[in-house]
Amino acid sequence: MKYLKPITTAVFGVAIFLFWLFCHLEMMNYHEQNQLFLFTSDYLLADLRTPGGMADYVSEFIVQFYYVPWIGALLIALTLSLMQWLMWKTVAKHDGRLFILTFLLPLAALWNMGDIDSLLSLPVAVNTVLATVLMMRRVESLIPKGKMLADIIIVTVLYWLAGPAAWAYVLIRSIDSGWRRLLLSSAVLLAFTFFAHWLVGYQLPLGMMFTGVNYYRIPQKASALQLAVPFAAVVLTAVARLTSGKRIATRVSAILQSATVIVIGWLSISDGFDPYVNEILWQDSMVRQSRWQEIIQRAEKHQLDEAFSSECVNLALGMTGQLADRMFYFKQSGPDALLLHSVRDNMSDYPTAEAFYQLGMINSALRYMFDIQQSILNFRKSGRCTKRIAECYIINGNYKAAEKHLNLLRHSLFYSDWAEDASTYLYNDNKVECHKTWGKLRRYRYKDRMLFSYPEKHKMLGLLFMNNTSNRLALSYFMGQLLLDGSFNEFMGYMQWVQQYGGYNSMPYGYADAVQAIQQQGNVPGSAYARYVNKMMQQHGKN
Amino acid sequence: MERIKRYTIIVAVLALLTACTESVTDAVKVDRLPKIYPDYTGVTIPAGIAPLDFNVEENGTEKVDVTVRGSRGGEMHTQGEWAEWDIDEWHQLTKDNIGGKLTVTVCDKNGEGQWRQYRTFDIYISKYSLDDYGLTYRRIQPGYEVGGNIGIYQRDIHTFDEEAMMTETALPGRCFNCHTPNRTNPKQLTLQMRGEGGGTLVQKDGKQTWINTKTDSTKAAGSYAYWHPDGRYCAYAVNSVHQSFFTDKDRNLEVYHPFGDVMVLDTETNELILSPLLSTPDVEIFPAFSADGNTLYYSTSQNCNVPAEYEKVKCSLCKIAFDPKTGQFGNKVDTLLNGPTTNKSYVLVRPSYDGRWLMYCVADRCNFPISQRESDLWLMNLRTGETRAIKEVNTNESESYHNWSSNSRWFVYSSKGENGMYSLAYMASVDDNGRVTKPFLLPQRNPRKYYRDSFDSFNCPDFTLEKVDFDIRTASKAINSDERVQVKIK
Repeated sequence: MKYLKPITTAVFGVAIFLFWLFCHLEMMNYHEQNQLFLFTSDYLLADLRTPGGMADYVSEFIVQFYYVPWIGALLIALTLSLMQWLMWKTVAKHDGRLFILTFLLPLAALWNMGDIDSLLSLPVAVNTVLATVLMMRRVESLIPKGKMLADIIIVTVLYWLAGPAAWAYVLIRSIDSGWRRLLLSSAVLLAFTFFAHWLVGYQLPLGMMFTGVNYYRIPQKASALQLAVPFAAVVLTAVARLTSGKRIATRVSAILQSATVIVIGWLSISDGFDPYVNEILWQDSMVRQSRWQEIIQRAEKHQLDEAFSSECVNLALGMTGQLADRMFYFKQSGPDALLLHSVRDNMSDYPTAEAFYQLGMINSALRYMFDIQQSILNFRKSGRCTKRIAECYIINGNYKAAEKHLNLLRHSLFYSDWAEDASTYLYNDNKVECHKTWGKLRRYRYKDRMLFSYPEKHKMLGLLFMNNTSNRLALSYFMGQLLLDGSFNEFMGYMQWVQQYGGYNSMPYGYADAVQAIQQQGNVPGSAYARYVNKMMQQHGKN
Repeated sequence: MERIKRYTIIVAVLALLTACTESVTDAVKVDRLPKIYPDYTGVTIPAGIAPLDFNVEENGTEKVDVTVRGSRGGEMHTQGEWAEWDIDEWHQLTKDNIGGKLTVTVCDKNGEGQWRQYRTFDIYISKYSLDDYGLTYRRIQPGYEVGGNIGIYQRDIHTFDEEAMMTETALPGRCFNCHTPNRTNPKQLTLQMRGEGGGTLVQKDGKQTWINTKTDSTKAAGSYAYWHPDGRYCAYAVNSVHQSFFTDKDRNLEVYHPFGDVMVLDTETNELILSPLLSTPDVEIFPAFSADGNTLYYSTSQNCNVPAEYEKVKCSLCKIAFDPKTGQFGNKVDTLLNGPTTNKSYVLVRPSYDGRWLMYCVADRCNFPISQRESDLWLMNLRTGETRAIKEVNTNESESYHNWSSNSRWFVYSSKGENGMYSLAYMASVDDNGRVTKPFLLPQRNPRKYYRDSFDSFNCPDFTLEKVDFDIRTASKAINSDERVQVKIK
């Protein structure tokens, strides 16, 4: 079985590929929309200006391919398979019987990747470290003198390219070569870390110089797992060194290794990946792709009791013309179930931003998208946000600002064609007005100046509809908001709009249910709206 | 033998250099000015400013060839993708031509290999020096409610060197205002950190003191600041700032202050000096001391029900006497410019340090001019009381956040004139008669690329006499410690 080991690694890679492709597409979408890789020298230099910048650059290069999920899954699989193979090559020097155990490292990395804000920079950095260890082992056999000096130089370069994962290099090399090297290399790396802090003008907290600038999206929030991944590489090497030459029955060893790998593998998936978070991410990815029917179908079976989920489902219902009929047959979080008040993070506002856009509330869509992008805590741009911001500017006729954003997208891989095409609309109002979506949304916009008021969102929606009575999404959102707010009299009063402009042959089922529930003061068995009102009243009672 | 080798190398290098420079032949004369970015045609600059690199934005430009000749001697030539000048040679050329002008000849080559030569234009070298080290500014993406990667930077205006003083990366999750030096003196500065764990920094001669300027008698901590010339006192506006967002395509947002008072901090005793005249139910904001320190200027508007009544916010420009010896205010407020009666809003007054001028913003409404598209800069002659709009610098978009150089011959300001969205830093000079020269955009290497790729606004630019010595590590420790010196009321 000469090829058993490469085949096992390949099978592991295939499993990882399938895991990401079929189980965690949404997480790739999340990562992709939190960065915008640009093929410019400035982008490269900006990354290389901070410790670990090369790992960041490679990571961001890979993550851009998440735009096409199967390529993204493939690249993750390759990264983790490579990690295992490099780990195997690293430990094989000491003990050639620990092949199975080396799968622990990519599984620890997978566990860490379950945290949505852990970045691929860390696995890339660990791979860089292991590759450097292997390279140095070869090089040192070729140079009779100056091995220590070479290591010292490598440690500093490695720190700058891969970040504090370089500590794993120091420790693995010390396991290889003895404690003297550990002391010297550690001293050098420690000194270089402080030197690097000075080099960046102290504009990064010292703690991040030790835990990684961009291994995690949120500054100064290094998780234990993040530290455990490079540490696992060291531990595996140490175990190999300890077991080296020791007599252990092959079968026992294989069973022990397999059991450990299976337990860690199971934990990495069960504990690492939070189904609740993934459900949120899934809904967001579906909204991004306008896959409305899939959102509805899934919500029919299972729906989170969250404003985010309500907004996604409601938007899907609205976009498919079902909101009036079916809104209250799905979970409604409360008055914020259609439009959420702006939250300062990189996720919560997406469905509302999309709803604003589809409604024709372009300024609000622009604002929400802008703030989502600004909330990416490692200060990366977002391809998704930048694209939508550019669209908003085009619809508003603010072509100079649109041009600036399109120019950015031109330097990306997956948005450049779109940006080129969008550029042909700049300074050409007639062409914009003929665009299927942009032209329609331009007509939907408010014509009078007023200030947006979230507490009065029902009024905003009503005015939006009056602005253009062909905007049926606005009508269904307006009526839906009145129902969510419990504004029964207004709802009943505006039913004439539904009859006049709604384009329905008969009264929508959802509105008929609501009317009945209102008229009978909630005493309608099986009424979806009555159920919602009771739920709200109970919540208010508790508060 | 060695000598031959050396000469060979020199000849080879020269040959290489000349091979890189193409001679302009058979250039077609174009009888108009070239389209260049930034528009440096006819601008007036100080000697020693960073080179005015510019890009030619003609159809199909592939290469530019630019020659600059000084009216009092000297010449520079460049050829390449854009007009890029050597810093030292540029400094020498501008110094040799103080009071004179540089005549710029621009040729470009299009895709068909055809050279075109445009009409020449002039760049005037002011007789007024600008010896300040550079500018400080806050770079911030002009967003809405989330600041993103805010940073305070200092820029050497004689070169292209920029250095971060305080950035969001150093202080994750913190929001900070622009720093305010004392009349360009970097040894005295103040800034405010907002939100949870916030505080006001007062740095004097390198010593940082973090202060809590909020007391039971004041509505909030100090924000918009201005130093007294003697460096003992610092005036702050006390306000909260909010914003609302428009629904139409022409306006983004309205910034408003539901309340506003003005107070003065005695930085030696950490005591606040309050006056009932500056803590009225109206909104007092943007204080600034006069050059002699005996007067405090500020803006005030009726306390409207904002944001509903945002259109009614009309600020008047007022002044009140201040005695630096006793640290007491006068008992009378004079109105210099009346907002409600003229239906305008006069905000952000900045007296020149030589006592000659008041520069301020005039907008249709509001007390936050950078968000007002029609905000223009105006100048008041303090000897005659005459006022005029500075048409030389005003555009259809917002001009604001102006500050004077240490010799009061130059001013820097933010303008959104380029695209209505991003404010950029411009500089211009004022002569004895109040004539203002055509402003120039803060020079950058390959400016088209720099400004096109930048998504930052240059917020609150101000001159700094010398490089600011700011220890971000000390600041970071102090901010995270939450230890603040509590001020008292005097």
